[in-house]
Amino acid sequence: MLKLNLTLQCLLLNQHESGMGYQIVEATTFDNKIKRGIAYNAELLLFEEEPRRMFRTATFAQLLNEAKISTEEIRSLQVVTNTASASPAFVLREAASSYVRKAMPAKDAPIEKTKEKEVFKRFTAYEKDNRITSDGKLLPGTYATTEEDAKKAPTGKAAVARYALPNPKPASNVWTIKPWKDTLIQYGIVEPANDQPGGGVEVIFTKGTNPGTVTGPEKIPDE
Amino acid sequence: MRVKLAKRWTKRLLQLPETGMGYQRVDLRLAGGREIKNVLAFNAEEVELPDECADIQIEDVQLRTA
Repeated sequence: MLKLNLTLQCLLLNQHESGMGYQIVEATTFDNKIKRGIAYNAELLLFEEEPRRMFRTATFAQLLNEAKISTEEIRSLQVVTNTASASPAFVLREAASSYVRKAMPAKDAPIEKTKEKEVFKRFTAYEKDNRITSDGKLLPGTYATTEEDAKKAPTGKAAVARYALPNPKPASNVWTIKPWKDTLIQYGIVEPANDQPGGGVEVIFTKGTNPGTVTGPEKIPDE
Repeated sequence: MRVKLAKRWTKRLLQLPETGMGYQRVDLRLAGGREIKNVLAFNAEEVELPDECADIQIEDVQLRTA
């Protein structure tokens, strides 16, 4: 928990809110790490992994008073546009669960590492997906989505729309990807394209995945 | 129309990153020097070509980077 210095407060006040009274942000630290969090009233920053129970017992003024100033830790802040929901409660829960994704395509996002037991899905129109090798790995530069986001695409046609796929054939073949921890990955949001709305979460496995990490396909309804 | 790529182009495309889930955008050079830009390649094995180009041999395939 940090109290934002005046420079960062001004920076945030010139950017839009994510909901009433708060902004979901990515903070760049002086050691070049990117940390997600929520900035309240453009002055108090709570990182996503930090507990929020203190909000129940302390006033905002008390929290501000106790918080360390950000000057030596945070170099810059960028508001993340959340396309998932306008509901603050939802947004907060999502932030705490690391599901908030940058509102930019995955290709432009920073390279991160997968966490333990993260699961991903890949939708294609092809039963034999050439980017999945016979020993069950993804080739470098292969796209997929998170398991959570895949639940929002129950049919092959829904997947075409959500992931703005240019191939109009229903993407009804779904592979499951369980990468090893610390596999390199980029998270982003699908932009509208190909006459499709997009809006889904997309990930790129920058260097592919290890053997035995991909299973399937499972067939879902076309529409 | 959809045209099946020769195996060597599939092999090349599989060494290159995707543009989105299941597809790549590529530039093609055809026999006779004609170039077709911004062509969709699906599953690294099929490309969407104008009908009049479908029977012309593909001489080169390059991934579009922008």
